[in-house]
Amino acid sequence: MPLFGKSQKSPTDVVKALKEAVNSLEKGDKKAEKAQEDVSKNLVLIKNMLYGTSDTEPQTDIIVAQLAQELYNSNLLLLLIQNLNRIDFEGKKDVAQVFNNILRRQIGTRSPTVEYICTKPEILFTLMTGYEHQEIALNCGTMLRECARYEALAKIMLYSDDFYNFFRYVEVSTFDIASDAFSTFKELLTRHKILCADFLETNYEKVFDHYQSLLNSENYVTRRQSLKLLGELLLDRHNFTVMTRYISNPDNLKLMMNMLKERSRNIQFEAFHVFKVFVANPNKPKPILDILLRNQERLVDFLMKFHTDRAEDEQFNDEKAYLIRQIQELRPAGGH
Amino acid sequence: MTNFEEDISVYNFVSILGECFQNKASVNLVKHYPTGRMLAVKRFHLDKIWDNISIVQQEITLTKQLQHPNIITYYTSFVHGPEVFAVSPLQAFGSCKSLLDSHFNEGLPELAIILIFKDIIEAVNYLHKSGFIHRAIRASHILISASGKASLSGLHYACPLVINGRWQRAVHSFPLSTQPNLNWLSPELLEQNLKGYNEKSDIYSLGILCCELANGREPFADVDSTLMLVEKVRGCIPGLLDCTTLPSKCDDRECQGDCDIEISLSRRGFSQYLHEFCYMCLEREAKDRPSAAELLTHPVFTLVNKGISLPELLKPVLPLSDKVSPNKEMCHLDHVLHMSEMDMPSCDWDFPIS
Repeated sequence: MPLFGKSQKSPTDVVKALKEAVNSLEKGDKKAEKAQEDVSKNLVLIKNMLYGTSDTEPQTDIIVAQLAQELYNSNLLLLLIQNLNRIDFEGKKDVAQVFNNILRRQIGTRSPTVEYICTKPEILFTLMTGYEHQEIALNCGTMLRECARYEALAKIMLYSDDFYNFFRYVEVSTFDIASDAFSTFKELLTRHKILCADFLETNYEKVFDHYQSLLNSENYVTRRQSLKLLGELLLDRHNFTVMTRYISNPDNLKLMMNMLKERSRNIQFEAFHVFKVFVANPNKPKPILDILLRNQERLVDFLMKFHTDRAEDEQFNDEKAYLIRQIQELRPAGGH
Repeated sequence: MTNFEEDISVYNFVSILGECFQNKASVNLVKHYPTGRMLAVKRFHLDKIWDNISIVQQEITLTKQLQHPNIITYYTSFVHGPEVFAVSPLQAFGSCKSLLDSHFNEGLPELAIILIFKDIIEAVNYLHKSGFIHRAIRASHILISASGKASLSGLHYACPLVINGRWQRAVHSFPLSTQPNLNWLSPELLEQNLKGYNEKSDIYSLGILCCELANGREPFADVDSTLMLVEKVRGCIPGLLDCTTLPSKCDDRECQGDCDIEISLSRRGFSQYLHEFCYMCLEREAKDRPSAAELLTHPVFTLVNKGISLPELLKPVLPLSDKVSPNKEMCHLDHVLHMSEMDMPSCDWDFPIS
């Protein structure tokens, strides 16, 4: 756009103009329509500075650095996110694009925006509550997953009370929002292995207490996705301590045995991958062993007939044969 | 805007309109009880498509983040039992593919093609400006409403141009499960080389779409896909079949069997503008193709004047009417679905009372 090319606004001007526009949008006064227009216009200007357009390159590093600094100093990122629901449809997406680009900024090995957000965790908490509002949920989701890539930010989110709201968000009735929330949830629980393992260990009871509700959810997608994720979490060697604890609890075993018999074949199959960990455990606690022994014959029978049509899945058949053998060879503990 | 509930009980399933998602999902004609409106509801059975559930999620989330009159919208989507339901406005003329198959075996009238293109290029222009490549532009992904508005669907094949916070000049990813779309894809996308491809790849697909709408079938439809690739890479440019491109009299060598069809095709004539339009979309080199924004200013669009409407041009085809009586058989469908899942041996576990 050569028309605007000549009189380009400086980052300071654009940030100032955008902030004023968002402020007046927030107040919702008579000038709201004009404010809406100004917000959109300035967001596009900032976006074009960062990304360029089809015929212009992005701005130089110096301009981008100046822009980032202005964004930090003015506290505009938080203001934009707090007012996201008031910004128009395309503007919401522009906010997310600007945010995601600024977040990835690097100076050597430092990520200045990540450092900035660590001092303003409110940004993260506001984004997380975004899942409560249909019209901004997906925009907040893209920003959250971008944040979750950074360990420092993932840590703040995991250890906040707001994290437990995810157990509600992944089950909301709108499929796309629930799915989006689940991808963020999964990212937080799996991306940074050591952080996640520490988190699950220290918060074991609270997390798995909540997790139980997902496994019992009436929503098929929630139930199946959470069961699959559970399997992945338990089989990740970083989570060894968590796994040991999980497979020592007879209630968990009962749940999995019941899920083996679910109506949906796919739930049965995912449950199998969690159930196998209980059986494969060389040091089964007595309550676990008792349940398995009590159902020894039934389990063998059941597994013999279990998903026999998966002939081509070699790994599954090997594992099934192994489980059958293990269960057949089970003897009461203590040698009496 | 009407609020469409995430609750199966407010929708009355009238009939199945067709299949989508490579026949793994169905499109249903549905009546919304509270408003009496007829809708199209896509129904994905998750047990059949679980491995591709991320594609379903992508289609729905991406569609929800686009707002354009010529891109299909989903009012809402929800889970019921093992299925996902996506509720969208009814496109009463169905897809362009179904129009070609049912009534226009030798292609649509030129003015109809131009009207459809006007809408679709607007959609593609918006999509490109939003940072996405569609990667599956074809007649089956173009839906026509009762008033004759064309909308683009099939967004599960789309890929973002903005990756890692940067606007990419070229992308390299190859779309998943894209087998059925191969004939529409550009040579540079199919080549899968280091140069990659960009949004101009969609422009090539528009060219193939133009041939498809004009000829009734896409070019290369009967050709082995390896040969199709070789031809495209060599720079073979398919075109519209009419008196300027087909021989006027069929001699023995050029038509074997299908003589009748060839004759009727060789008598008609498309305007020079449409030939040009199609040709420029199909340029071998991506940089030689116009952008979607540039295509919108092509003189081919001066051929349609305001008075012409698509429904007129599509006659004798009529749009699906709002007054369709519910089909009782549909109600039984659910039972059948559930029955098939109950073939597991049942057995009761014996748990100690704790």
